[in-house]
This record gives sequence, structure tokens and C-alpha cells, in this order.
Amino acid sequence: MQPLLERYARVDFYDEFADGDGVPRSHYVGLARTLRSIDWSDFQHRVATVNAVLLQRGVTFTVYADARGTERILPFDLIPRIVPGDEWSLIKRGIAQRVYALNAFLADVYGKQRILADGIVPYDLVFSSLFFNREMIGFKLPHDIYIHVSGVDLIRGRDGTYYVLEDNLRTPSGISYVLENRDVLKRSFPRLFEHYQPLPVDDYPFRLRRALTNAAPFGNVEPTIVLLTPGIYNSAYFEHTMLARRMGCELVEGHDLIVRDNIVYMKTTKGTQRVDVIYRRIDDDYLDPLYFKADSSLGVAGLMDAYRAGNVVLANAVGSGVADDKAVYPYVPAMIKYYLGEDPVLPNVPTFDCNDELQRRHVLGHLDELVVKNTNQSGGYGMLMGPSSTRLDREKFKLAIEANPREFIAQPIIPLSCHPTIVGEGIAPRHIDLRPFVLYGAEIDVPACALTRVALQDGSLVVNSSQGGGSKDTWVLD
Amino acid sequence: MLSRVAESLYWMSRNIERAESLARIIDVAFNRTVDRLAAGSEPARRVWSSVLELAGGGDGDIPSFEGPSLANDAFTYGTFSTENRSSVISCIRIARSNALSVRAELTTEVWETINSMYLFVEAQSPRAIAREGPSSFLRKVRDGAQSFGGIVDATITHDDEWSFLQIGRFLERASMTTRILKTHDPADDSAPEWQRLLEMCCASEPFVRAQRLSSDPSEALAFLFLHRSFPRSVRFCTSEVEHALHRLSGTAMGSYSDEAERLTGRLQAMLDFVGLEEILDEGPAKFSARIGARLDAVGMAVQTSYFPRIPVA
Repeated sequence: MQPLLERYARVDFYDEFADGDGVPRSHYVGLARTLRSIDWSDFQHRVATVNAVLLQRGVTFTVYADARGTERILPFDLIPRIVPGDEWSLIKRGIAQRVYALNAFLADVYGKQRILADGIVPYDLVFSSLFFNREMIGFKLPHDIYIHVSGVDLIRGRDGTYYVLEDNLRTPSGISYVLENRDVLKRSFPRLFEHYQPLPVDDYPFRLRRALTNAAPFGNVEPTIVLLTPGIYNSAYFEHTMLARRMGCELVEGHDLIVRDNIVYMKTTKGTQRVDVIYRRIDDDYLDPLYFKADSSLGVAGLMDAYRAGNVVLANAVGSGVADDKAVYPYVPAMIKYYLGEDPVLPNVPTFDCNDELQRRHVLGHLDELVVKNTNQSGGYGMLMGPSSTRLDREKFKLAIEANPREFIAQPIIPLSCHPTIVGEGIAPRHIDLRPFVLYGAEIDVPACALTRVALQDGSLVVNSSQGGGSKDTWVLD
Repeated sequence: MLSRVAESLYWMSRNIERAESLARIIDVAFNRTVDRLAAGSEPARRVWSSVLELAGGGDGDIPSFEGPSLANDAFTYGTFSTENRSSVISCIRIARSNALSVRAELTTEVWETINSMYLFVEAQSPRAIAREGPSSFLRKVRDGAQSFGGIVDATITHDDEWSFLQIGRFLERASMTTRILKTHDPADDSAPEWQRLLEMCCASEPFVRAQRLSSDPSEALAFLFLHRSFPRSVRFCTSEVEHALHRLSGTAMGSYSDEAERLTGRLQAMLDFVGLEEILDEGPAKFSARIGARLDAVGMAVQTSYFPRIPVA
């Protein structure tokens, strides 16, 4: 059997694994040696074993498009992605800086609105955001923390520069894959772990719990924390159960909670028990049928009143979404400058704001080269990938953009970096991104936990799990 | 603990226990008919009718299969029928869906056991089983359910969660033993008939050890209803339920704080002190029916005490 790596043909993008001459980068030398020593049938055997383990554990997500609610395992790629220490420290600084500024922005737009008054971010843009929540204006949060948990999506350009693609400030998911992938891979390549000694990921639940404990109203050092899930049909339900289990807190559904006299309780076999902090994994719109969607059965009637009375903390805060509105994204570097007086450590991807006439005209003239994103959608839905789009797709987007320019942004296509990945016939380069998670408790905490998502289809740049993406274990080196 | 969680644990445990009993009952029926009773003969017909009765939900809503395909129909009804909410596959699906909704409270070992059982059962082809015989399939279901019991005991803290699992497990087991005894044909006190009842309760070896060479059928009846320490006797099971209820409420044994405890205590006292002659006078079938009704009442009372439908708001 021919060694695996010889089948790996390089492509014209930044290659994480090898330099321009095809020589493995220094932090990949050990992995390259291991890959050469394993033959293909052995590899396939390991892949099958790993998939069986994941299925048995129920590490699955639900595919919404499928009416039967099919459970699938997120394809897991056995070849780990390695992030060397110097790159990680840059990433860490960059995303901590960003989350700090975004949090300050939220405290500001729901407070004195200085950044708007100073003309750095337009009033209209903020007030027209679907995710801007008027109920939150003038409401002071404990510790001024809005974004307790976030996941920042990073990609690398042709020259290897890390760019921030998206700040996920609402209910970013994926951490369970980070934990499971590590657990599974340790069993598959124990020797390689000894060689690399990547930083551990399994302290994430502890650190999350610590951040949520810190989020409690002042003076409450032992708060009752619960994780609020939409239930077993949610695509991230497995993750909710895993986090609740590992944090040792109750996993509740909306109907397990009641609000009496502006205090939230959970219904137990021994009567009701007061709840102090809710790590909610449901969107703002479903939290409280009295304030938001009246027909939603996922939330808790009266929850917003309890929240506004300061009797319960929601993580993340209601209304945080305005800061990761795709149309607000272009202003984040300016926010960093404004609140911190620093230059951004990690650059944004250049972005065209369709609300601006000049920029819109450019976008409409170059639809076949750009990626267009709807500001109200996420997860790879509502997107136009210019170069691979049909004339009809482009025509549809053109009309939509002209009708509602506020709802669209456009970006040049960044050719995501590539990483060796197991595909049907061997190992081939596939595009990847990186989602490190940020916790904000007493201070900003960046655990060495990052999810690498991989577009398994040849040439595809879309890594979302709902669009056929997979994941890799990500090794952060010291 | 959340009421919703308590309820899911209870039903999860009940359904796994039921899947195990049913797998055993069907296996016993196969073993007892395949080599010694001609298909379609009267004794074979009776064995398979008892399977049909036990495989149903106990609410009398059982399809009437007759004729040469009775054995096959009863087998399918008890194992893979999705219309039968009490078939092996239905029980495992319900248990797995309950487990999923309390995934955060279960240890990984417990969850994986249930999930494996579920994946295993879902992957079966009824046609292949019909071709190769059902024994290895039924064996795996039983093994899975028994590992579940062992893993629950060994990995879940013996607090409230465990108590609800115990209540589900032993209430189901008491009720299944009672229902098996109810299928006894009063006109047939033959050795094979009693052997069938003992085997369906997984009691034939323990019974032989306890009673040596007894040929008196009433000894078997006493063993299955009243034995103090055989883990599938009705008396043993209700005692486990009673202890679990008292652990939950903290009320001393001998008194009660809710209807579930009162009903269980009363049933327990009756089983502790009833004489075999009384059972024989009343007739085993009638006695079984009476016990069955009382067990159902205990189940209802557990529901109202611990997971009321209307929230206490």
C-alpha cells in the first residue's frame, strides 16, 4: 500500500500543513511521520471504530430539513489541526480584545449611547437591527457583562493571516465537539499525544461554570445555575446535556420553570427551588411568550420581568445580538479603537455595506465575485456564493438587495486555508476555519478550546455542519 | 430533582424492565414449543396465547390471532410491532426517548447502554430473525436490559434519581409476575404448565434450589407471590418499591405521608401475612387480578404524588 501522504496534492491556498515547497511545517513534522507510518486499511479501520463510538455515545445533531428529525453524527476527521503557541497567543489576544470591545459596545448602546452620539456607529444601523432590544435600554446588568460566552469564527487568507469572519454572541455551539473529538482522538493516536502534548480542553465545563457563577447577582457566591434548552429536538441538544452534566447543573426546559413575584423557580419533586443564573440556549425571541413570540412554548412566562427586576441573570444577555449583526460587523475595528484606544490585533474581512449607495452599486456590479450574506440569517443559510452561483440566484439576490439593502452585506471571497483531511480515496486538502470560545466572568478567559470545522466537499468553502461540514480535533500547543 | 426528570426516569426504568421480561417470556415460549409441542396443537396454542396477553398493554386491547400463524403473529406482536405500545421495540424506543430527555442526569455509562440497545434493535431485520430464529436477538435484549440494571446500580448515586428508577423497575416487575400468574389455566395443573410459569418469571432454577423435588404446584405459586428474598417475587418487588418511596419522603416505615406510601404499605402487609390457603381458596387467577389492580393503583398514586400533570403554581 502506498503511503498516505503521497496522495496529498497541494493546492493554491494557504496550506496549514506544508510550505510552498511541499515540506511539512515544523509543527506538523511529527504528525507527518505518524501519517506515513499508517497504511490506508488501518486508517479506514480507525475511522470506522471512531464513528461507531460517536454514534453509540449519541454525539449527534438533528437535521432540520429532514421532517423525521434524523440524528446524524457530525463527520469527524481523524487528522488533527495543530495551532502553534505563537499563533495561539496572537489569537487569544485578538479575540479577547474583540469581545471586550463588543461588550463595551453593548453596555454603551443600551446605556448612554456615546458611540452613536459621537458618530462612530450610525444610529439607524443599531436601531434597525432585528437583534436590538428596546426593553434593554437603561437596564443595568450585574457586572455590566452581556457576552458571557462567545465563539469567534476565524479564517486564514492566502498569506496565512488570521481574519475574524464572525462574532457569534448569541448561543454559539460546537464546544461539545471539541470535547468529544479530543476524547475520541486520544484513544486513536495515544503516541502522538505524548509527542505533542496539546493543551487540555476538558476544563472547559469548569471554566464555564466559574464564569456563570461570577455572573450571579452581587453577593450570591453559590448561585443555582441551570441550562435552559429548547428540548430534545434542538440540533445542539447533545451539547446541552453534556454541558449540564459536566457542570453539574440542572438541564431545564421552559415548562420546568415558573415565575412567581418576579422570581424564577424550577419545579422539583420536593416543591419549587429558586434559580439565580440561566445559561440559556434558546434565542431571545423564545424566552418569554409575554414579551416576545406569544405562541412559543419553549420559554417561561414572566421571565423578562424577573430579569428586569434583577432577580435572575441570563447568559448571554438579552439583546446581545445587535453586536454580532452582520451589518454592525464592519464597525468592530472602530469600536476597538473607540473603547480601548488600540488597533485591532486581528483584522476584519473587508466588507461592503449594501445600505451605502456607493458600496451597494459596487456589490451589484460584482455579484459573481462576492459572497453575499443576509444579516438576519446564520449557519450558512441565506448566502450567495458568487463564483458558484447561477444567473438566476444572482438575479434573486439583486432584487432582494435592492428591496432591503439594510439586510445584506458582501465580502470578497477569502480562500480559506486548507488542511489534510481524510476523504473517500485518501488524504486531500480541504478548507477549514477555526472557532475559539471566549468566556467572560470575573475577567475574559480564553480556554485552549477551539473547534476546527472542515468543508468535506472538494473545493467547498462552506464549513457549516448544516451544510455538510465536518470537524477536527484542534491541538493548541504551549 | 425536577418533576419532569423524575417522571422520565420512572418510565425509562419501567420500559427497560418490561423489554427484558417480554424478551424472556417470548424466548421461553419458543423453547417450550419448538421441540415438544406440535405447531397448532392445543398446548402450543395456549402458550402463544399467553404470550399475546402478556405482550399487550394489559388494558385488554389485544388482537385475536388464530390458526397456524399464531406463533409468528404473537412473536411479531411482542417484539417488532410498532402498533403495540408495549412491544420490545416500543419499550426500547420509549425508554431511549425518556433517556434522551434526562440525558444530563444519566451517567454516560447508563446512557450508552440504552443507546446501544436502541441502535441494536433498530438495526434488526425481522425477516432475518424469522429465518435464523429469535434466540440470539432475545438474548441480546435481555443482556442489554440486565447490564442497564447493573450499571444503574453501580454508577448512579443512590439518592432520589435512583429511587425513582427503583420504583419503576420493581413496580413493573411485580406487575409482570402477577400478570404471568394470571395466565395460568386453572384447569391445567400439570408440571409443564408450572414449569412455563416459573421460567417466564426466571424462577425455575431458584425454585428448584429452594424446593428440591416439590411437585406440588402450590409451592410454585407461593414462591412467585410470597418468597421473601427471590428478586422477582411480588412480595420482594413491592418491598423494594416501599423502601424507595420511604427513602424519597423520609417518612418512617410503618407510617405514610402520601397515598403512594399508604397503598404500598397496605399491599405489603397483605403479602407479608397472607396464607397460601387463602390464595388457593380465592383461586390464583382471581388473587392475581386483585394484586394487579392494587399495583396499578400504586402506579397512579406515584404519578399524582411526584409528577402531577397540573403544575403547583
